[in-house]
Amino acid sequence: MSKFNNNQPISRTRVKICGITRPHDAQVAAKLGVDAIGLVFYKNSPRAVSVKTAQKIIQALPPFVTTVGLFVNAEPTFIHNILAQVPLDILQFHGEESPDDCRRFDKPYIKALRMRQNVDVQAFAQRYSDAKALLLDSYVQGVKGGTGVIFDWQQVPSDLSKPIIIAGGLTPNNVSQVITTLCPYAVDVSGGVESAKGIKNADKMTAFMKGASMVKSITLKKTPSLPDLPDSDGHFGPYGGLFVPETLMQPLEELQKAYQHYLNDSAFLAELNDDLHHFVGRPSALYHATRWSQHLGGAQIYLKREDLNHTGAHKINNTVGQALLAKRMGKTRVIAETGAGQHGVATATVAARFGMECVVYMGSKDIKRQAINVYRMRLLGAEVRAVESGSKTLKDALNEAMRDWVTHVDNTFYIIGTVAGPHPYPLMVRDFQAVIGRETRQQIKVLAGRLPDILIACVGGGSNAIGLFYPFLDDTDITLYGVEAAGDGLETGRHAAPLCTGKPGVLHGNRTYLMSTEEGQILETHSISAGLDYPGVGPEHAWLKDNGRVEYVAVTDDEALDAFHDLTRLEGIMPALESSHALAYCKKIAPTLDKDKIIVINLSGRGDKDIHTVAALEGIKI
Amino acid sequence: MSRLKTCFDQLRAQKRAALIPFITAGDPIQTLTVPLMHGLVEAGADVIELGVPFSDPMADGPVIQRASERALAQGTSLRDVLDMVKNFRLQNQTTPVVLMGYLNPIEIMGYKTFVQAAESVGVDGVLTVDLPPEEATDLSALLRAHAIAPIFLIAPTTTPKRIKHICVQASGYLYYVSLKGVTGSANLDVISVAKKVTEIRQHTDLPIGVGFGIKDVQSAAQVAKVSDAVIVGSALVRLVETEAQDKLLKMIPAFVRALRQGMDAL
Ligand SMILES: Cc1ncc(COP(=O)(O)O)c(C=O)c1O
Repeated sequence: MSKFNNNQPISRTRVKICGITRPHDAQVAAKLGVDAIGLVFYKNSPRAVSVKTAQKIIQALPPFVTTVGLFVNAEPTFIHNILAQVPLDILQFHGEESPDDCRRFDKPYIKALRMRQNVDVQAFAQRYSDAKALLLDSYVQGVKGGTGVIFDWQQVPSDLSKPIIIAGGLTPNNVSQVITTLCPYAVDVSGGVESAKGIKNADKMTAFMKGASMVKSITLKKTPSLPDLPDSDGHFGPYGGLFVPETLMQPLEELQKAYQHYLNDSAFLAELNDDLHHFVGRPSALYHATRWSQHLGGAQIYLKREDLNHTGAHKINNTVGQALLAKRMGKTRVIAETGAGQHGVATATVAARFGMECVVYMGSKDIKRQAINVYRMRLLGAEVRAVESGSKTLKDALNEAMRDWVTHVDNTFYIIGTVAGPHPYPLMVRDFQAVIGRETRQQIKVLAGRLPDILIACVGGGSNAIGLFYPFLDDTDITLYGVEAAGDGLETGRHAAPLCTGKPGVLHGNRTYLMSTEEGQILETHSISAGLDYPGVGPEHAWLKDNGRVEYVAVTDDEALDAFHDLTRLEGIMPALESSHALAYCKKIAPTLDKDKIIVINLSGRGDKDIHTVAALEGIKI
Repeated sequence: MSRLKTCFDQLRAQKRAALIPFITAGDPIQTLTVPLMHGLVEAGADVIELGVPFSDPMADGPVIQRASERALAQGTSLRDVLDMVKNFRLQNQTTPVVLMGYLNPIEIMGYKTFVQAAESVGVDGVLTVDLPPEEATDLSALLRAHAIAPIFLIAPTTTPKRIKHICVQASGYLYYVSLKGVTGSANLDVISVAKKVTEIRQHTDLPIGVGFGIKDVQSAAQVAKVSDAVIVGSALVRLVETEAQDKLLKMIPAFVRALRQGMDAL
């Protein structure tokens, strides 16, 4: 039996509007299709209602709208008295009521739980075993327009049998994102649809219902219990760590502390989620590539559309996170390295938005290959500095950015673009990119009714790959493929495939697989795609290679180019050359699989930036 | 007794600071390195720091970056550098030699192979720029077991807690990086350097050397007053870059002699 049978998909997330004080508001809510209304019987609340008002509101309601009575540490006689006069369907307890306090009224009940760090949701559910549902309240004092539930959600165990209701800080703007990411049984809103305390606003209620119905809800299935790596010093087994000059040890320690702090700071998470939604455009779509699937004649292929993000790639998920962190840490200047220019553009973009000085280091070879992105960065107000040392590509840009950071540690935040670098970067960038996998988990269940069989992503430094894979690492029946750049072919030596051909060593602050000579000098790499042209790889991938959880493969420039054309012609989607490597590997395996198999590919970026490269290869001048 | 300890004990008795020049092995050509090392000693160098070239020297400024590139263009490998020390020891048994470089060449050679070879050719200390003490446990233990000093950096950003920790791990001498920046950066601030050296001294009896940013007789003399050793790198390497090859065996020792005289004139 499949392990998901206990969690049959539900067709939509239900909506409760709480704190109704006027019969008219109840009627509007009912007309909009609200499932339940809440009446507050707690006299300290600005939304408290009298017995008389409650009676009037219920009288005004049409049938099939559930009425919920909300109590906070009320005396049993008080509740009995209300129940004798007001026909409530269900009770909701918000105080420190014991299970016995809740069940003595012979009425179905809901118990609310305030979500703080380290609450044990499982134990709570067991204690209130006869509750109809648990209401998880993530409201945080002083935080407007957002909730921190995305990270807190990992506290909810997967085998929780109880329906979950999400409350606290919901608004018309964030409800769709909350539903896509968390898939609750129901959402509960009050202040987010009001014009004043207790006064509901028809336009806001309409907008809220629209937001809630935009996404179809799905099974309640949380992020898996995550493997506890890296350790506190940033090690993934023998990989990762902190291999930097002494000057950077203190700044990295400061960064680690700040990151750990803000990771648990609801206001920070709320701002991050808000930006991911409104600025980046998340959630990004999951798209069933039916024509391409049919053409290949095997498995069903779904594309996670990171190309639709603002600035055209997954890179911005990470730069938004790091820039918010930089701002909180009081840094006024950000620096970055870039290869293809996507990370540079994403950094210049957030720097423009937050009004920070921005310097981007780029190898002079890459500057020639990616002229459009260089101009984009300059338009955004960033200074692009050409790096002439070494191989004049991404690795040298990273060296130069490190040198800048050593020199300007006091006011500068180094925004690293992938899951490489010293601890905590591999951890931090993974966390910021894992939104890709979290969304995919929910979306694929809506679209296909179950989790996928195979995930594929290209691997440069490894951030888009780990972002997709991470929330699936525990699902060992799902096969994960990381696709490196084989360039002219692995046998030619002209490639960028450290995991497939390299050996462990130390570069750019961490121990990982590297392409180096017998003498330990780092080799120049080659790939048609500048974003994969890097001799190292994030340390977590080294770890996942050794323990066999992810299979690392490589495809050539030519194979990637073919896949680029296929997707463009068959689906009307022009992929980045980096992402085309993942597509090319899919092309190899999809035809060998049954039609009911499901593959999800991370379409990490769009191909507009690459059209000059493609045109030049075809001998066309544009 | 180790060469490093003997050397610093003697200097301490004479109340003199050590002069430690740095050159990159194999720059500009491999055959010049050993003669240059002897020239440095004759001119008054007490310890030699020999740079092991690396393709990605992330803590170095442009001058030493280019030196690395020149040495690598000559095919200079870690094994070649060890051979140079071996040749140097044919004529010089007393001057301590410290290898300074990055971890990857050592990782790829293997810690054990490297340490055994280094001991047998007469290396006295190893300073691995991208290996802070937190990650150095294995290599440090091996080095100590083979009578080679693991040498660590202390930076202006190093917290008091870390200074303590580093002093416990270190041997040979401590290398205080005089400024936030890469090798060959702008000017150092002698007053703040003196303050930091005093702070470090509270945690260790080891000699404290100061490097990064010392580029002329004047700065060398100032730093000699407040520390146990003056480390000069980029200023020398710049000469290697700009002077004609056939003049180097004269020019480099001449510069070092001037530094030595400036330091001793105090
Ligand atoms: C679109 C796109 N995909 C993938 C990559 C590779 O980076 P990573 O492996 O960190 O996802 C890049 C890097 O520039 C990129 O721009």
